[in-house]
Amino acid sequence: MSKSGSLYIERQSVFHRLDGSIKLLMLIAWTFFAFAFLDARVFLAMIALGLVLLRISKLPAKAVWPLLLFIFIFTLFNSAFLLLITPEFGSKLTGTYTRAVGIGFYAITYETIFYCITLSLKYISIMPITILFLFTTHPSNFASSLSRIGVPYRVAYSVSIALRYIPDVKAEVENIINAQEARGVAFKKGDAGIGTRLKNYATVMVPLLLSSFNRIEVVSNAMDLRGFGKNKKRTWYHRKKYTKLDISLAIVSFVVLALSIAIKVVVGAVYWYPF
Amino acid sequence: MKAIVFENVTFRYNNLDEPTLHNINLSIEEGEKVLITGKSGSGKSTLAHCINGLIPFTYKGEIQGRLLVNGEEPKTRSLFAMGTQVGSILQDQDCQFVGLSAGEDVAFALENDCVPAEEMGPIVDHALSQVDMLEQKGQPPQNLSGGQKQKVAIAGILAMNVPILLFDEPLANLDPASGKKAMETMLDIHDRTGKTIVVIEHRIEDVLEHSFDRVIVIEEGRVAFDGSPDRLLAEDVLPRCGLRQPLYVEMLKLCGVEIKEEDRISVLENTIKFKDQVVSSYLADRFSGKRPDNKTILRLEGVCYRYYKDDPYTIKDVGFDVKQGEMLAIVGNNGAGKSTLLKAISGLVKYQKGSMYFEEVCIDKWTAKRRALAIGFVMQNPNHMITKNMIYDEVAFGLRNFGTAEEEVDWKVKEALKICGLYEYRNWPVSSLSYGQKKRVTIASILSMGPKVIILDEPTAGQDYTSYREFMTYLDEIKQTGVAIILITHDMHLALEYADSSVVLSGGRVIALDSIDRILADPLIISRANLKHTSIERMGRLYGVEDLSSFIAYFTRRITGGVL
Repeated sequence: MSKSGSLYIERQSVFHRLDGSIKLLMLIAWTFFAFAFLDARVFLAMIALGLVLLRISKLPAKAVWPLLLFIFIFTLFNSAFLLLITPEFGSKLTGTYTRAVGIGFYAITYETIFYCITLSLKYISIMPITILFLFTTHPSNFASSLSRIGVPYRVAYSVSIALRYIPDVKAEVENIINAQEARGVAFKKGDAGIGTRLKNYATVMVPLLLSSFNRIEVVSNAMDLRGFGKNKKRTWYHRKKYTKLDISLAIVSFVVLALSIAIKVVVGAVYWYPF
Repeated sequence: MKAIVFENVTFRYNNLDEPTLHNINLSIEEGEKVLITGKSGSGKSTLAHCINGLIPFTYKGEIQGRLLVNGEEPKTRSLFAMGTQVGSILQDQDCQFVGLSAGEDVAFALENDCVPAEEMGPIVDHALSQVDMLEQKGQPPQNLSGGQKQKVAIAGILAMNVPILLFDEPLANLDPASGKKAMETMLDIHDRTGKTIVVIEHRIEDVLEHSFDRVIVIEEGRVAFDGSPDRLLAEDVLPRCGLRQPLYVEMLKLCGVEIKEEDRISVLENTIKFKDQVVSSYLADRFSGKRPDNKTILRLEGVCYRYYKDDPYTIKDVGFDVKQGEMLAIVGNNGAGKSTLLKAISGLVKYQKGSMYFEEVCIDKWTAKRRALAIGFVMQNPNHMITKNMIYDEVAFGLRNFGTAEEEVDWKVKEALKICGLYEYRNWPVSSLSYGQKKRVTIASILSMGPKVIILDEPTAGQDYTSYREFMTYLDEIKQTGVAIILITHDMHLALEYADSSVVLSGGRVIALDSIDRILADPLIISRANLKHTSIERMGRLYGVEDLSSFIAYFTRRITGGVL
């Protein structure tokens, strides 16, 4: 995370030039498309395309990997959980029953294993475009993008405020921890057991909450005094007019979105099981 | 037209029984520069809220009498409507700065006014260039100093094009040099645009050196004085209201000078006519100061620290001695490395080079926890330290962390509370205390652990003169018990009045190590460390005094009532 508390990485790429709201729209269309299917082939194709897009964005792999890894681990746990709770769910979908492992009447079927793989691929397929949105959208454009796709600006602006004050609160937490450490409160490994240390972190909450309440009051005064919430609408300093590329990608996104909804409603997400 | 008119205004907050403002009568002309001052709790902030509309819209209460701001009565309008008349700059620059970059923050009000994006650009650029911040347009707040953030806030108000500018304690969070620049920016704006400027501030000397038209003193919710700075300084209003007079005025009065309004001493140069009186008083009664020759308790040798391997050192080759029972000031501006040095001494960061000795024992390997028993550390903001509800528990907290037996805790806590003048309050909740009292609780909580050195970061920040004086008196008493005190500060007055010796930091290095009067007499050090000239020093130069440092030392001791 950069000093400013956002994930934005400055590069020269077509995605960096796209308006944030278009990227958000693409993310939504992409997600809907993924949820219209339960087909590993589609997801593999989407992952491939997503990786190509990531390549075009010129984002450094070092920044992208941790997030991908996180999602990978998340899907692993998710799959394990699914296998444990609903070991025969895949079979319900296919109507076939191929026992893989099990004891007595509790058995995990191959159909379910493949179902979990498919599901994991689905989650992973959404990742590249999410990363694209998070890393190539300048924090200043976040709120305006949200409001541009219809989120009320008061709600959208709270994103901006959060991004603004995360670093300040972080610095404050450090400050408070330092103050307590200087009075012999243990925060570091080796000074005390994990239980005590956790409890000590909890004591930090008291001054932090008090100062946060105070901050909220002053910030909201500062915003009121400069007319935040005065009108039904507001304009955005960093917002630019849509370019031709923005508009064409918006049209593509809408088509994909409509298509996904049509598929989901008419056909439904059909589970593809090749064996 | 009058910019602001109060006619018999009385205001009571809904949650209080008594009014905070009583029968206020004021009128401020268009284009005037007015200072409103008063002690903490005098009602000066409430007055500011009445002007910018936070009263009655955000802070509810009962308002009587007639109040006109640019011809409009706030209570019949809305907070937003008042925002187009009065531009407010708040004390806390971080909370004021809501944008993610300087440009965005300036544009904030324009965005709320639905100004089209393409029109905003030029307005923002123009406003930023007026405060000389155009180059920093794309910078996030984390990369800007306090002074720069304040300039951005001023630009934000300029972009709104309001007729009245209201500054609520603009100097409170700035070091003196940036404070001076902020005041200059403000006056420059005034000269160019002729806007009405109202400044609420208790650092009177720092405001008055910038030629204000008028001063209004508020005391206990009433107007105690309303007139020109010259009349204010000639009368004894400030000391009577527990406010600090400019140092040079205090000095003149000590020399028995009868100041009249016609002397116009709000301009320091006009005091030249009192030269003989001052100089003869100084010559008749010379001062000899020397550093106490006690044993060294803490010694630093060549301490260096940097955050990352590739970074330049934040502090480099820092070395000095701290003697038993002495008050040492570490002075320097923001970014000089003061807080890093403080963290290094208290063991919160590990210095890469150099050594520290506590009573001649090397403590380089000591952890923060171990050091805490020898060297106590009091932070600037008491709210960051206090975690308990009751005063007694707060002061006992450190001792209990170290597993001290409860009987021992009891007498140590009581002893610490007595020294800090808080013994009668021991069973009170912390929340019932004032800011200055809370600050004393934090000192007591460190003192109870029995350290031989106490480090205080900006000890007097956020306190008015009365509580400043009181607080420093307690520190002096702690010093008498043999504890060494290190003050980390950018407040030259504080260092001058109370420190026995001082270390000047600049760019992470020690550039001077001497008594503060000698340091302040050296213009080279002042400019290198970007410190602010004090008015006693300016007087000495005006009068052509030869031994400037002893002149400064003499008058400082006289003013604090210290021993000569």
